[in-house]
Amino acid sequence: MNGYGALSGRYLKQQRKRSILTIIGIILSVALISAIGTMGQSLTDNMLQRAIYEQGAYHFGYGKADAKLYNELKNNVLVGKLGFVTEGQDTALDDTFKIRLSEVNADFFELAPVHLQEGRWPQNDREAVLEQWMLSHLPGKPKIGDEAKLNGPDGKPASYRIVGVMINSKNSQLNAESSAYTLTNEGGIPSGNFIVLAAFKPGVDISSHLKAFSGMGEKFKANDQMLAYMGESSDNNINKVFAIIFGTLIGLVVLSTAAVIYNIFHISVLERIRQFGLLRTIGATPAQIRSLVFREATVLGIIGIPIGLLVGWGALWLAIKLMLESGFKILQMEDFKLTVHAWIIGGSALIGLLSVYLAAWLPARKAASVSPVEAVRGAGSIVRESFRRGRIPSPLQGFGVGGKMAAKNIRRNRSKFRITTFSIVISVCLFTVFHYFTQETLFITTDSNEEDRIAFSVYPNRDTSDKPFMTQEQMDDLASTSGVRGVYGDYWSNGSAVWVPENKLNPNFYSVLRRTPAEMQRDGAKYVFTNGIVNLYDDARLKDSAPYLVAGTVDPKKLAADNAVLIVQTVKPVDPKDGKRTQLDMTSYKVGDKLLIDMSQSEKPDSFQEVTVGGILSQSPFGETYLKDNLNMMAPRQVFERLNKAVPVQPGEESQGPHMYGIDIAMKDGADNGAIRAKLQALVDSQPNIRISDIAAQQKEERQFNLQMQIFVYGFLIVIGGIGSLNIINTVQTNLLLRRREFGLLQAVGMTVRQLRRMASLEGIWYGALGSFWGLVSGYVLSYLLFIELSGLQGMPFRFPWPGVLIACGIALLVGLLSVQGPMSRISKANLIDSLREEA
Amino acid sequence: MNVIEADHLSKKYGKDSTMVEALREVSFSVPQGEFVAIVGASGSGKSTLLHLLGGLDRPSSGIVRIDGEDLYALKERERAVFRRRKIGFIFQSFNLIPVLNVEENIQLPLLLDHRQPDKEYIRDLIQTLGLTDRRKHLPSELSGGQQQRVAIGRALAYRPAIVLADEPTGNLDSANGREVLELLKLAVRQYHQTVIVISHDMNVAAEADRVLRMQDGRLMSDTRGGSGV
Repeated sequence: MNGYGALSGRYLKQQRKRSILTIIGIILSVALISAIGTMGQSLTDNMLQRAIYEQGAYHFGYGKADAKLYNELKNNVLVGKLGFVTEGQDTALDDTFKIRLSEVNADFFELAPVHLQEGRWPQNDREAVLEQWMLSHLPGKPKIGDEAKLNGPDGKPASYRIVGVMINSKNSQLNAESSAYTLTNEGGIPSGNFIVLAAFKPGVDISSHLKAFSGMGEKFKANDQMLAYMGESSDNNINKVFAIIFGTLIGLVVLSTAAVIYNIFHISVLERIRQFGLLRTIGATPAQIRSLVFREATVLGIIGIPIGLLVGWGALWLAIKLMLESGFKILQMEDFKLTVHAWIIGGSALIGLLSVYLAAWLPARKAASVSPVEAVRGAGSIVRESFRRGRIPSPLQGFGVGGKMAAKNIRRNRSKFRITTFSIVISVCLFTVFHYFTQETLFITTDSNEEDRIAFSVYPNRDTSDKPFMTQEQMDDLASTSGVRGVYGDYWSNGSAVWVPENKLNPNFYSVLRRTPAEMQRDGAKYVFTNGIVNLYDDARLKDSAPYLVAGTVDPKKLAADNAVLIVQTVKPVDPKDGKRTQLDMTSYKVGDKLLIDMSQSEKPDSFQEVTVGGILSQSPFGETYLKDNLNMMAPRQVFERLNKAVPVQPGEESQGPHMYGIDIAMKDGADNGAIRAKLQALVDSQPNIRISDIAAQQKEERQFNLQMQIFVYGFLIVIGGIGSLNIINTVQTNLLLRRREFGLLQAVGMTVRQLRRMASLEGIWYGALGSFWGLVSGYVLSYLLFIELSGLQGMPFRFPWPGVLIACGIALLVGLLSVQGPMSRISKANLIDSLREEA
Repeated sequence: MNVIEADHLSKKYGKDSTMVEALREVSFSVPQGEFVAIVGASGSGKSTLLHLLGGLDRPSSGIVRIDGEDLYALKERERAVFRRRKIGFIFQSFNLIPVLNVEENIQLPLLLDHRQPDKEYIRDLIQTLGLTDRRKHLPSELSGGQQQRVAIGRALAYRPAIVLADEPTGNLDSANGREVLELLKLAVRQYHQTVIVISHDMNVAAEADRVLRMQDGRLMSDTRGGSGV
């Protein structure tokens, strides 16, 4: 031993159990920070990637640019990439399809949301790329490498070599119009007006320069969504909101980390405080005692932090792997990159170290300030215990001697009690806040429903209303093909007026819209006008609506028998003043209520019809998840037909009726779509009147984005829940193991092991109950604060995740109880004399 | 020359009705090389007096001078350093650092001062204490008598001016107690140290040069012992 500092190493070694517990605490905290960092970074990466996929990688653009603007931008030092597109002329392929070849420069392919499926981008003005579905409609059904005759950008027909195909877009197939691109002449700047897309050079502070560009040309548009994810939104408000949200989350984690480590350190110092006092009697200065504690902190940190980094990353990896194996099969592990960023590793290590020192600071001061006199008096523990009397009797006292002792123990040592409870509070609070936050992130960022799964659609080329273009047998056959999840008919929807009893209408609805609705009196009650949309849902659609059902039924027979419809009451009206969307329930119908519908929208007394609310859905299973300001209704065929009779038919037109204009085919996640594609191709070949819209590639990408998001979010929660539980176990067990001497004493005066166990279990439950309660309260408050920030981005109701949080509280209680059992059985097996001898 | 001077030392605990006067106006002085025993019933104030002489506590009034230095005029940090260099403590419950072995426990005051111990002196000391073959043992591996000898070694390691011992034989059987007493007397003889011992043990009083008798916080008598050194 070369100096007194070696003492700290000796302490750590001798009290191996305590040191290991402390290191575990540090590992857990650092793991939490690094997991959150990695998760957050991957989440943003994922959202950014998605925004780029959907909107393109450009930062800003002009809808109407000319050569002058183009050259100005090209010479601007801040601009890195500059793409343009000149709209070309249509080439009519037959009566149905059109293709438009536009002229672009090479940068365009990098900046615009166009995606190559096969081949490459054009490299000269004789090459072209087009959408994959177009190939079979071009004369001679060319493949990659073949020539096709198209109207060039100048309107004159020319021959182009097809060098690549792009991923199909649904819109182009639905509209029977497709875009194709060829490269402009080298260096050629088009004359007239064209569209320009631009991206800044790397490293440019985008948000501060964007404004200067907005005035340079007409129809300026910033790529807002993508910029927001880059943290470069032109809207400063969004940046601020993001900063506040992530600041809150990270602050919470740092606070809890410091608290957890502090707890363990504090206990460890308290238990040794007599020895610190002894050192003081032989002449150690307070500074020397402090430095001993800090040395311990440093050693523990150096051991714990690197392991914590590994554990955090490993826990995430494991969570994601387990989820992939248990159903999310669409993603291959190799597709899924958990990014390791240097800043996350460095940041977590730094925060961990700071937390360790912060946590050691108070205990070190306490150790240094211990009075040497009290230490040498040597009468047991010198930690002064304040016993408070005269409070409300604890409910634990009803549980016999064990309960009475437990109640006394809890009150006797407030600081130990607080420390233990606090770690549970922190765990439950963290879980609650992150549960709330991730749930809302999912709501805001992914608009996911059954529509995501639709990979193919089939439409008749010419719509004939007299007979369905496809028979039920044909549809059943498609539905039974391997990999197919469902085959749904497409039907026209009808708008209607819905008269809502005043007490069923959310008063906020019209105040967001800043409108005053029409009202009427009927049978002595006041009704308010709203818009509604009635959709026809065939049996397949109704069946797959079940996961969204909040109340009622989706059974087609029952609905038809009750003359009932399904409704989605949640809407996202837009404030006409600031364009902000607010999510709310526009009505408060219950299952069994009657809807007063006027399909003719004529307000004639005899045009009103009544239908029953047969089921309430949380969101629309198909199409837009929430409508802006319409009550969304889904009717089975018979009900729809009945309602539809009231729709007036214009002279010379045929009634739209419950007429199927197409079908949608949804695929199972990760299923191979070869079989269904072959079947559809055979169908098209045998029935020349129909066409297929193949968006399988796009569907797969989008579904993948949504699933990735869910995996992130749930993986995140699993990690936080797991780390929280471990933290509770660690604190409760530390607390018990440090009280061995006391338990020995109780045994010595005649307490049985059973009574002892009962006492400790009751303490554990009590810790769990109080911790859960305060964790819930603080979690609720913090979630609400986050909600206030989030609703600045998008209006929404405050949805507190009660079920998840209550389960978490239950688990905390259980963990409190269970974690007592291990140490107790060890204590009961231990030699009584040894426990008594143990250094207090 | 007096190594210890206590001048009108008083110590009060608590306030108003709960106030206890543990020490009332105690004055005495001890020249170098004297072996002094303080005796008295439990609660008579002997431990309080010892703590004040060692700079562990603060007097309510009065002055303590060790080697001419006013102990309570020093700052907290200075007093800790002073304690480390000038005062050696021995306690009834030994109070060794459980994670350090015999040799390390003895050297600790020097290490706290960032000084390399004088190896020869420490070896001599350990030999004198009869601990040579126990040098590398931890306190938990020693008997009570051996532990107390380590504590004496620690008190003497810095060759302090005074050694204060609080019931050093209280936890020992009579044979070990006698041995410890002999060692303390040896310290006086060999290193010219001043030793103050608190004890119930009449044997200790009988061995001392001088006996101070305490009662109710007051110094009742100050007598020269019979044996001498």
